[in-house]
Amino acid sequence: MRGVVAIAQNTVREVIRQRMVLVLALFGVGLVAASQVLSPLALGEGRKVVTDFGLAGSSLLATLLVVVLGSSLLHKELERRTIYAVMAKPIRRSEFLLGKFCGLWITAAALIAGMFAIVLGVVTVSYGETPWLVLGAMALTVLELGVITAIVVFFSSFTTPALTAFFAAATIVAGNFADDLLYFGSQGAAPWVARATEAVYWMLPHLTVFNARGAVVHGIAVAPERLAFAAAYGLLYLMALLIVAGAIFERREFR
Amino acid sequence: MRGWGGMVVAVVLAAALIALSGMVDRADRARRGAAAREELLYYPSGVWVRQATLGYETAAADLAWLRGIQYYGEHRLSDQRYDMIGHVMNIVTDLDPRFTQPYVFGAFVMSQELGQPQRGLELMEKGMRANPEDWKLAFETGFLHYVGTHDHAAAARYFARASALPGHPEYAERFAAFAAQRAGDRDMAILLWKRVEATGNKYMQEVARRELRRLGDGAEG
Repeated sequence: MRGVVAIAQNTVREVIRQRMVLVLALFGVGLVAASQVLSPLALGEGRKVVTDFGLAGSSLLATLLVVVLGSSLLHKELERRTIYAVMAKPIRRSEFLLGKFCGLWITAAALIAGMFAIVLGVVTVSYGETPWLVLGAMALTVLELGVITAIVVFFSSFTTPALTAFFAAATIVAGNFADDLLYFGSQGAAPWVARATEAVYWMLPHLTVFNARGAVVHGIAVAPERLAFAAAYGLLYLMALLIVAGAIFERREFR
Repeated sequence: MRGWGGMVVAVVLAAALIALSGMVDRADRARRGAAAREELLYYPSGVWVRQATLGYETAAADLAWLRGIQYYGEHRLSDQRYDMIGHVMNIVTDLDPRFTQPYVFGAFVMSQELGQPQRGLELMEKGMRANPEDWKLAFETGFLHYVGTHDHAAAARYFARASALPGHPEYAERFAAFAAQRAGDRDMAILLWKRVEATGNKYMQEVARRELRRLGDGAEG
């Protein structure tokens, strides 16, 4: 377990070195500018517009960070051959993978927390009211990022950075269309097609489970049972992915 | 001397760039005007728009809302034709059905600017189906019946519905009673428009002032 923690800490340091603070600063400046420019144009809906853009921007940026940085994390270790030094220590490959996952997820969660804090601050200062309900959406976004990080780590365990980024992005897009896939499969298709689409439906991550951005903006709180369900689903999904990724990575030949 | 030469080249290049930018902008202006109209004409609609936003539907609704206001503002300053406003507000509300302002704004424009209160009422009905507990939508529907279709019985029904919903102000009950008792009363219309003048957005306030002038109310500015 100590090995996992050490690798996670190292991954956090590595990701932070990629100018994450700059991302936060740019996000803050962008949101302040947007609130000043958009508020007069939104006919009294400035608070909603700024909160919406803030939440959507945070989630998009954090997802991009996970996909872009995550897809090359393992590859860098292989390319620089630093993985051999790590593997010489009493640590299993699957633990190494788990450490990478934890490091990336923790960093993404910290980034999300920072960006949501900026949203809360900007909305409070601009409109004199703190939208505390966005914290429920933040918890769900952190869980969503856990699933996305696991997807990235899963693909990076057996393919190149470019393909990892592509497959991860495709899975995220498909995860938002999971319900439609099931619907089309059930509309008079051959039985085997219906069964295949149903299987894909269950395999895809149901990312809509983690999306409460639209609700909190309209003053609807995230219910504790929804949070509990999302946590259970997200943790089970990412654990399953990490187990499969670990098994693949154990068998992978390093060149 | 070489330094001067470099400066002259830089100034000439900068001037050429500015001149070219001006030419490109002029050439683009006509195309942009046509494109803006087409953009709204082919603005995507239907439930698929929601899926295409990949979970960012409320932010997409805000973008469409801002574009709709821009469209209204542009046409207000030019030809005063707002043919696409219903289409745009339908998209905004498909993306974010809980966003109530576009229902009211779109319905007002269709009723008072386009002279198509029925279309406005359809948008309000859509809003009430999506937000059955929102007293404002029921109240504004009553309002549109009163001043748009002049169906005072329907207006009274919607005011009464608004007064039965949580969070309604005391005037909702008063208006329901007024509408039922004194249907067709000019004073009632003035009262309603004055409320819009006091609480609506700047465009709706302008419409309210115009209607108040038309009704011959001397109190307004």
